[in-house]
This record gives sequence, C-alpha cells and structure tokens, in this order.
Amino acid sequence: MQTMLLWLVTVGALAVFARRFWLRLAPLSRARAANRTDQPMERLTGALADIGLHRRLLRFTWSGVLHFMIFTSFLVLSTAILQAFGSGLFPGFSLAVIGGDTWIALLQDIFALLMLIGLAMAAWQRFVRKPARFVGSKTGDATLIYLLAGGIVLTMLLEFATAIVMSGAPHAWRPVSTVLSHLLIGTGMTAQSASTAHLVFFWLHILIILTFLIYIPGSKHRHMMLAAFNLYFRPLTPKGQLPPPPTKLAEADTGTVETYQDFTWKDLLDTLSCTECGRCQSVCPAYAAGAPLSPKSLIMDLRDGLLTHEGVIDGDAHLPIIGGAISQETLWSCTTCRACMEVCPVHIEHVPKIVQLRRTMVEDGALEPMLQTAMTNFQSQGNSFGKPAKQRARWTKDLSFKPKDARNEPVDILWFVGDFASFDTRAQELTRMVAELLHKAGVDFGILYDGERNSGNDVRRVGDEGLFELLAQQNIDTLAGCTFNRIMTTDPHSLNALKSEYPALGANYDVMHYAQLLLDLIKAGKLTPRTDAGLTVTYHDPCYLGRYNGGFDAPRDLMAALGHTLKEMPRNRENSFCCGAGGGRIWMDDVVFKERPSENRIKEALELGEITHFVVSCPKDVVMYTAAIQNLGVGDRLAVRDLAELVTLSVA
Amino acid sequence: MKIVVIQRLEPVLTEELELSDDGRDIDREWIGFALNQFDDQALEQAVLLKESNGATVTAIAIEDEGSDKMLKNALARGADAAFQIPLDADDVESRSSRALAPLYAAAIRTLAPDLVLVGILSNSDLYGELAPYLGAHTGWPQISAVTEVRLAAGKATVRQEYAGGRAARFEVDTPVIIGLQTAMQPPRYVAGSKLRDLLKVQIPELEVDGAPSADMSHGTTLALPDQSAGAVMFDGDADDIATSIHNLLKEKGFVQ
Repeated sequence: MQTMLLWLVTVGALAVFARRFWLRLAPLSRARAANRTDQPMERLTGALADIGLHRRLLRFTWSGVLHFMIFTSFLVLSTAILQAFGSGLFPGFSLAVIGGDTWIALLQDIFALLMLIGLAMAAWQRFVRKPARFVGSKTGDATLIYLLAGGIVLTMLLEFATAIVMSGAPHAWRPVSTVLSHLLIGTGMTAQSASTAHLVFFWLHILIILTFLIYIPGSKHRHMMLAAFNLYFRPLTPKGQLPPPPTKLAEADTGTVETYQDFTWKDLLDTLSCTECGRCQSVCPAYAAGAPLSPKSLIMDLRDGLLTHEGVIDGDAHLPIIGGAISQETLWSCTTCRACMEVCPVHIEHVPKIVQLRRTMVEDGALEPMLQTAMTNFQSQGNSFGKPAKQRARWTKDLSFKPKDARNEPVDILWFVGDFASFDTRAQELTRMVAELLHKAGVDFGILYDGERNSGNDVRRVGDEGLFELLAQQNIDTLAGCTFNRIMTTDPHSLNALKSEYPALGANYDVMHYAQLLLDLIKAGKLTPRTDAGLTVTYHDPCYLGRYNGGFDAPRDLMAALGHTLKEMPRNRENSFCCGAGGGRIWMDDVVFKERPSENRIKEALELGEITHFVVSCPKDVVMYTAAIQNLGVGDRLAVRDLAELVTLSVA
Repeated sequence: MKIVVIQRLEPVLTEELELSDDGRDIDREWIGFALNQFDDQALEQAVLLKESNGATVTAIAIEDEGSDKMLKNALARGADAAFQIPLDADDVESRSSRALAPLYAAAIRTLAPDLVLVGILSNSDLYGELAPYLGAHTGWPQISAVTEVRLAAGKATVRQEYAGGRAARFEVDTPVIIGLQTAMQPPRYVAGSKLRDLLKVQIPELEVDGAPSADMSHGTTLALPDQSAGAVMFDGDADDIATSIHNLLKEKGFVQ
C-alpha cells in the first residue's frame, strides 16, 4: 500500500516537475542558433574546474564558503535521497552493501550538519548582513528554498534518530543522529512511539523533497539543473571579441533582436541560469553611479519577459523587449567594462546581450543626440571628433623629427595611434612623449597618417555593426599595404580591436601595448631611467587592457623599473573599476550618472592616503580622470600621470 | 508624388581655417567637407513625406569630391534614387548658387517632381538664394524659411517662420520649390549596415541640358577673425578672484 502510494506521488511529482521545466526550456528550441559545441574537452574541464573548485564563487568568501558547504552536502546527501526513494519504491533496496550503514552513514550525518550550518550562514547573509547586491533579488524565493532545504535535512536526521530510538542502541556511524535520538528519548519518546514518528518523518522527508522538486523549475534554484550546462556552453572566443549579429535566416530578416526568439538559445539559457546572486550588480560601474542599469535586473527582466511572453507567468505577453521589458536608458548605460561577466559564477554573458539590443536600436535609428553626432562623425570623417582625416597626424608637427609613413616604407613597429591620442589636446602631449621616447631609443617605427581610421572597437559596442565593419575593413586594407613586424598602440580600445576583433575578419597581427614596449626598451638598455626619484603611486587598470586582454603586469613592471612604489587600490586587476568611458559612453550625456564612475574611482585612490599620483595607461583615462580630479577639486592632493609621462621624466 | 531633394557638401568651418593665396576664399586643400545641415533637414523632411504620403524621393548633387558618398548616405536614409550632375571642375570658376542654379534647374526639369526641397542656407548660400533662383529658372512657385510641409493632391501646405515666434501657413500649388529651415523631426541616424550594403553601389550621373551661369559679383578680400586679445584667466582663491574681477569692472567703468 505504502509502496503504491509512494510510486503514485513520486511519478506524479516528476511529471509536474518535467512539465514545469519544459515550459521554461521550450523557447530555447525556437531560438536562434549559437555555435557552442566545439572543443568539448576544453568545455568540460573548464566547467568541472569551475564547479569543483568554486573558482569564481570563492572570490566572495562568505558566500563562496557557504555555497561550497551546501553544494558538497547536497552531493553527499543525494545518497540519502537515493536510499529513501530506493527503499520505498523497491522494497529490499539498500545502500548497506556498499557502506550505507557505515562510512556513507557517517558522511551523511556530518554533511547534514554542514548543510544546516551552510543554510544558517546563507540566511544570516540574506537577512542580517544584507549585502547591497541582493537589492532587486527575490527574497521570498530564497527564503522558501532555505526552508525546504532545511526541512529535507531535518526530517532526514529525525528519521535516522527515530530509527535509533527504535533499535534501542546508539548507531556507531551516525553521531549526529545518535545525539538527536538522546534528545528525543529525553522528551519521552519510546521505541513504540518512535516507530510512528519514523513513518511520519519518512513521509515528510519524501514530501518535502518532492515539493522542492516541483518548486525548482520556477525558482532561481533552477541553477541546480542549468548552471553546469551554462558553464559548459560558455564562450571560448577571445574575451574582446563580441559575437556577431545573428545570421540572417531570410532576406527579410533584419538580423536584429525584436522578440525573445531572436536571441540565441544560449542567451535564453543565460537568463534561466541566473541565481540572482547580484555579484554582477556589486561590481557594475553604471549601477554604482546610479544609472538605470543593474546587470542582474537586466537578466532577471529578460527572463521574466521571456516567461511572460511564453505565458508561463502572468503579465503582458506582447510587451516589447526594448522600451518594454528593458528601457533604452538601461541599454545605453552600459560601459561594456565586462566586470559583470568576469564575476558571474555561472558565466552569464551580459554585455553581448546589451550590445545585441543596442544593434536593434541603432538599426531603428534610435540614438541619443550626443551619440548620434559622434556616430555621424565616424561615418563622415572616420573619427569621433569630426575632424578631417588630414588632421589626424597634426600632433606630429611639433616633434623633433618626422615619423615614418608606414604606408610608404617598411617599419619594425607600426604605431596605431587611435582617435583620442591623435585628436585630444591633452592626450596629444602624451602621444608626442611616446614618439620622442621611441625616437630616442632608436625604434624603427611609423604611423599611418591620414590612412588610419578609428579602430571601431567602441563603435561596435555602441551597436553599429555595419559601421564597425566599414572602419575595420578600411584599417585592414590600409595595413595590408604596409610592411611591419608588430603593431603598437597606447590605446587599449584600439588594442582590443586589433588583437581580438580583427581576427574574426581574417586579419591577424602581433599587437602590443606601449607599456610593454617601453618596458622592453628599458630592459634592453635602450632607455635608461633614473630610479632615485621614486614616487608613491596607484595604478588604474584600463578595462580593455586588463580585464579584456590580460595586460596587468607590464604597466606594474614598468613602474617598478622606474623606481616607483605602487600602492594598489582595493579594486585592481580583474576587479578594476571602469572609468565610465567605455562602450561609447564617452560620447553620451553623463546625466544618467548621479556620481560619475571616474569620480568614484578617484575617491577610492584618495582613501589610500599617501599616494601623490594616479597612474593611467589609456588616453581616455587621462581625459576622464583629469576631469574627475578637477570636478572633485582635489588637484592639490592627486595628479594624473600617464606611463609615458613617468618614463619621459625618468629618462630625461 | 515625386520629391527631389538637393544635397550640398560644404566646408567644415569648425576647423582651423587658412586663406587661399589670393585672399578671396578659404584654402580648401586641408579642410574637410560635410553635408550642409539644412540639406540634411531637407532630406529628412523628404523621407518623412515619403513615409506619410507614399512619395518617391530622388536626391541630387553636383558632382564633386565626396558627393557620391553623400548621395549613398541619402539612399541609406531612405531616398529611392540618387543622381550626380556632372560638372567638369576645370570648366567652372565659381560654385556659387547663382552659378550652379541652371544645372539644378535643368535636373529638376528632367526629373519633373511635384516638390523640390533644398536647405534654406549653406556656407556658400548665405542669403538663401538658391531656392529663389530655382523658382526663377523653373517658373514654379517658391517659398523659403519653411518648418513644416504637408502634401495633398496638387497642393502643399507649408508653415513659414518669422522672427519672434510668429509664423504663417501657406497653401501652394505643386510643383513647388521649398527652402527648408527644419524638418518636422530631427534627422535620423542611419546604421552603418545600410551604408555598408551600399558600398558597391554606383551613383549614376544625370546628364542635363544646361551650363553654369556667370557670377554677377565676387568677393574681393576675406579676413580671418582678429584673435589678438584672448581671455584673461584669474588665479588664486575666491577672494583674490573676486577682487580681480571687481578691479577690472572698475577699470572698464562698469562699476563705480
């Protein structure tokens, strides 16, 4: 009778679970294709390492540790679930033959305790410590999960404990349950009443497990089932290479994202895998600045929009994505700094989705006015400043020599100067310093003069794919007519395009940042710095040099070679905090920011106390942080220094 | 319904300018050229009318360095056709509105539109003379300083703007030539993908029966703005700066 009943509720619950899961996964089968099945070994080992070592989770210590406790406990306790259902559904089934009553029992007892501690830590975190990253997450869902998971473990322990009371002797391999059984005996439980209680706890255990199972598909706890797949299907292309727009399926297909089915299945899987942990939100410069963007809310809103569209949850099924589920301001707020993607434990790809939706807005001509001016300048002049190409190399006029025209003669190093370094008056001074340093060190280099166009890095991130391709192709064609060994640039954005984006267009170059070149020149004795005038400085990692292309060490080694003492800001290297200029934000109105990210960053540097200089290695950073220091009125305490200035002062 | 819209390139004057050797023009060798912003408005208005009335839009330009790119941009923005009017640069002494008006007029006669839209002004059309010249050449009605255009069968209703926020509404028979001040919506952004798709498109030439006119006047000298006196920057704390400003105002006689 009991076996029949158990079969009935188990099969029934599994059927409801499967249906609830399928309702949410079905849209993936109708979404666009994404090529995420290559390199299976690389995918598998990476996913297993991420799960097994909790690599990203442990960056947030408290949460990482508690998740590790709950996760490992879940794995161990699944043996108890197997035992419970196995013995109930198939009378006679037992794990005892492989140690179910000995070492497995011991592990179950220990990990049950660990699970309860882990859950208590999670509840403490959510209800007492309340980190800001949980703002916007669904607390009710999380609470219910704690209760269900705690209920499963408690009923299991009580089931074991009542069995011990029934047997009348302590269980040598179940210390926790034995202690619990003594407590039960203390409350007056007899072997006979224990028998009834045992049955009750068995059924409670079963029912809570099945309730949990049914609940999971509609909860953030879906990640138990989906996170591993999301990790497996993560992008393996270079970090700095955005996925292209979807392939047009038909002539009339615009290749833009209007509805949820226009996303790839991986994009939709991302939204379903989100755990609402808010790590992305806690590192997002736009969110910190008060802009209407939280990467977490973006993913949650897309998920809820998808499920509403599918009729799985209540709401307006015809709400558009842009201007409906997600506002235009939200999409334009992103600096594409990649901090969210770097920190996400389940490797959700926020930035490509934002860019994909921006592409749709660009295709519709829906740009904010300032951005439209900059983009129109790119179209007409090939740079955001709207300056004639002929003036691109005007900064060379005051040099002590004339740089080679790499289009006319072979050079060792082709210097791709970039827009800001070419046209911005403050950055031009630094560009000239770099030129003089290279000249002094006898480097055989040349520039493209008016043949250079903006690399298109940020144009692509604004969402104008066609314009990016036009700019990139012009540069690739120009470079194809030049003879050189390596490309050097001071601009991390250009570096990213040349190094990570152009290979997708069939152009591969050996690209280096000027920090590396200057360091090499010092090491080779071509430049001899004085090291007796060391400063105490801090250093800002530019997103497109550091997080995107791993260029963390050369700038630091260079500063050390010049005798400076580096004091790191709390947010450094992979965890660097964006200046707010990336992703085209530098051409947009910054009224969306209540506190500009650059000013937030300067305050972080000021808190270090003893530093005098804020060192940067990106022309945009020079502009952004000089303005931030002026706005904060702290010019007497801190000065921006580009690496080029440091080297120039040191070798003069 | 057929609309012709005229597109003109003009020098970008926000850059540092140099004078030509004869001192009668700016040196065009190092300067960039861009679409005249009023012609940009005219194009947008033409496309808006196309969208509301189902018209076809033809963009025309005098052939010059960069004119084909400008016309491709017009196609990307929504023009249905574009033509360059050939002009041998060696043959033409001036590119003033008076000089070029016969060529535009000949093109308009060939295309036989119901409506011609042209920006009210440009750097080389400071008095807005092109639209009246075209009216004179074609014998069609002409109206300038227009900020709104609506079309009905055989008629156009336009709003002409005056100083002080006043405006008048006119109804004119088509075909008509309109000097447009602003379109009813700001010019839209054209995605690079549309430009990319037009990369290999050749803008055809429109052979017209006409020759440039001679100018009746010409500039004798052109001078760059006098930049001898720049701004004065005051240093110091707020009190010092306030004192300096006060002293300066006293010195200039603005305060006692």
